[in-house]
Amino acid sequence: MIGNLLSYFFLAEWLSSSNPLLYLLGLVVYAIAVAIVISVFAYCFGWIERKIIAKVQHRHGPTYVGKYGILQNLADLVKLLAKQQTVPDTADKPVLYLSIMLVLAISTFIIFLLPLSPTLQASNLGFGLLAIFVIIAFFPMLIFLTGFSSGNKFADISAQRSVLIMIAYEIPMMIVVAAAALLSRGYNIQSLITMQSSNYFVVLMPIGFVVFFIVMLAELERPPFDLKEADSELIAGWLTDISAPFYAFALFIDYTRMFMGSLLIAILFFGGWYGPLLPPEVWLLIKAVIISLFIVVIRATTMRMRIDRILRTGWWYLVPLSLINLLLVYILFVG
Amino acid sequence: MPITRINIGPVHPSTHGVLRLVVDIDGDTVKNVEPHIGMLHRGVEKLVETRMYMQSPPYMEKLDYISPLSYDEAYVAAVEAALGVEVKERAQYVRLIQLELQRIASHLFFIGTLCNDLGQMFTTFMWAFEDRDKVLYLLQEATGSRMFYVNMRLGGVVRDLPPDFAEHALNFLDYLDKRLKEYESFIEKNPVFMERMKGVGVLSRADAIDLGVTGHVLRASGISYDVRKDKPYYVYEKLNFNVKTQQGGDNFARYKLRMEEIRESARLIRRALNTIPEGDALGMPIRLIGPSAKNKISMVSRELPRGEALMYLVADPQRPYRLSIRSPCFINLAALGHLTSDVRLADLFAIMGSLDLVVACVDR
Amino acid sequence: MKIDRENLQRKVAELKKAGYTYLVKITAVDYSTNVQAVYILRNIPKSEDVTIEIDLGNDDLWLPTLIDHYRAADWYEREMSEMFGIEIRGRVARRLLLEKWDGVDPPLRKNFQWNAPYKST
Repeated sequence: MIGNLLSYFFLAEWLSSSNPLLYLLGLVVYAIAVAIVISVFAYCFGWIERKIIAKVQHRHGPTYVGKYGILQNLADLVKLLAKQQTVPDTADKPVLYLSIMLVLAISTFIIFLLPLSPTLQASNLGFGLLAIFVIIAFFPMLIFLTGFSSGNKFADISAQRSVLIMIAYEIPMMIVVAAAALLSRGYNIQSLITMQSSNYFVVLMPIGFVVFFIVMLAELERPPFDLKEADSELIAGWLTDISAPFYAFALFIDYTRMFMGSLLIAILFFGGWYGPLLPPEVWLLIKAVIISLFIVVIRATTMRMRIDRILRTGWWYLVPLSLINLLLVYILFVG
Repeated sequence: MPITRINIGPVHPSTHGVLRLVVDIDGDTVKNVEPHIGMLHRGVEKLVETRMYMQSPPYMEKLDYISPLSYDEAYVAAVEAALGVEVKERAQYVRLIQLELQRIASHLFFIGTLCNDLGQMFTTFMWAFEDRDKVLYLLQEATGSRMFYVNMRLGGVVRDLPPDFAEHALNFLDYLDKRLKEYESFIEKNPVFMERMKGVGVLSRADAIDLGVTGHVLRASGISYDVRKDKPYYVYEKLNFNVKTQQGGDNFARYKLRMEEIRESARLIRRALNTIPEGDALGMPIRLIGPSAKNKISMVSRELPRGEALMYLVADPQRPYRLSIRSPCFINLAALGHLTSDVRLADLFAIMGSLDLVVACVDR
Repeated sequence: MKIDRENLQRKVAELKKAGYTYLVKITAVDYSTNVQAVYILRNIPKSEDVTIEIDLGNDDLWLPTLIDHYRAADWYEREMSEMFGIEIRGRVARRLLLEKWDGVDPPLRKNFQWNAPYKST
């Protein structure tokens, strides 16, 4: 909402201004606005997720702190911040801290690069979509670094798994993105969304959507693909030796990444900001929230897949399906 | 890839207690599992020797905190056999009903924790616990306690069933039937669950006998041995108890068998409640003297929820001279090494979950 | 039935051929002057149990292993040898199963001082 208000006053003008100083100022203000939106989303969704999972499990969820337990996450945050940070001696501390912070920086940066409305965006790159997915490819690398540098065998296994999943799942993801680019005749996100004004891409390439959604779940470490932090086997995977303030940080990263993934799905397949009555930013956020809710319900019900089955799914189903999707898109809409 | 040795436990999300496993893995494949037990060893067998006969049931209940009543009953039955005490007819029914209720509670716990070990986020766990709680309420109504009942006395029970117990129990069993269908449709329609369970941790007939596994692990491998059928006690024979078996020998067979056993237990309770005779079910007041004969050996087998327990009791006039407990979890855990050779690391925990271990019962 | 420990393996092989393929329990009882080992075997189809008792005396405590006949014997033998100080011959000696105390009397023997103050080793 803050972004929405700003856009109608000055932010959109600044961001599209030819004066570099004004543009820079706009960028800073926009970055702050995006950070606030992410924080609000992460906070609210932390609460919503707990409530939804509690409902599925016939529990009440947080009720004690604040009305309907809305302040519970704040209390947890204070608790985590007050705790003592313990890091094993075997850990490579600078790498550990830096890589975790980079995970957050990158997911925030991606959201920053995404346009929130026709006018509200940091920059209108011709290859914006490509840039975003190139940046996303850094996640497994950073998770590998975090796991590897924490000097813990569980984190180590988790790091290895993350690389395996990266290799198997980035390929179908990029192929689906290529199909979307084929539909929108380019890698520009603005035109990608404008192309969906009549038909959402989810209608034009349903196979692509299914593949992308599954890949996104794996990318976001959401069940049934949460192998990197599989709690029943690897304790917490790459986050095993992350404690106290940094654990709060990791939780924040979790929701930031979910927000990022939902935004990407909304933009690629659900027509971004298109929708009646409400302003475009609000529509985009609503779509992202609905997708996030769906991801949460999946988390509440499914079990975890095994690593070899995940890789098999990636190579035997997702890669061929994404290729078929690309072919269909080419034949039906381009050729 | 070099072999990595990882240490799992004693404190770990899915070891169900203080069990420590030293696991050698090659990549993601488990090469060797070495369970280190004994962290919950309380020396109950020695402790019993220092107590009067009827001072020991509370210790017995702590052996298996998921199904305390079953161990309680097994011990009291061993003492009864040594003393030559007959159990009153109504008390046999009351005991059977309570034991089967305890079995239902324990099996529901198993289904919940199994899904948890497979990586589900506590959903089935919470549902199963909700239903298990209803069983605990029933048992509380019958015995006055929620967790450690100590409801067995020589020749009978401490409290008879309350007057409206039958109605409550029958209501619950109707509700349970519906819930079991719900569980099955929720769990078994999940492709990930089926994929993780089918064909994982297969135990062949010959291996099952050779490794000496017991209870649901044995029956899931296609061997029909259930103490309730093969050495019937109480009124199991009269109530037409059927042994359930599964042929697969894998995780799924073990899970499915337990589902069927819950249904069978429910059927037994229904029949028992319908045919329970009037009369007195109360046992003797606590008697501190034992049998007159010295070194009288009594051997009592009981089918606990987790498998067969054998109480080898050498009785003295004052107190047990020696009580040797054959714990079902102990021998099922001993088979873990065989079951988990060359499985994936994730399956190690699925298999361990399907064995349904209680570490207190392993260590004694 | 009561047999000598020298005959144990032969007797068990016979029983196993006769259908007693399932080992229920290996345990022992310390009768102060005599430690008695107890083997319980089972014929599953007939649902019959047989109990083998072996008197070991009080000094020379050893037993042949049954691990070649029943894999289930592994942990039972380890537990028994730890709790009663009975040496199991013919198998690889493994670490103690339940407790890690060395140099203390076997805990389930009758001369074990269960109420003595614990001495850290």
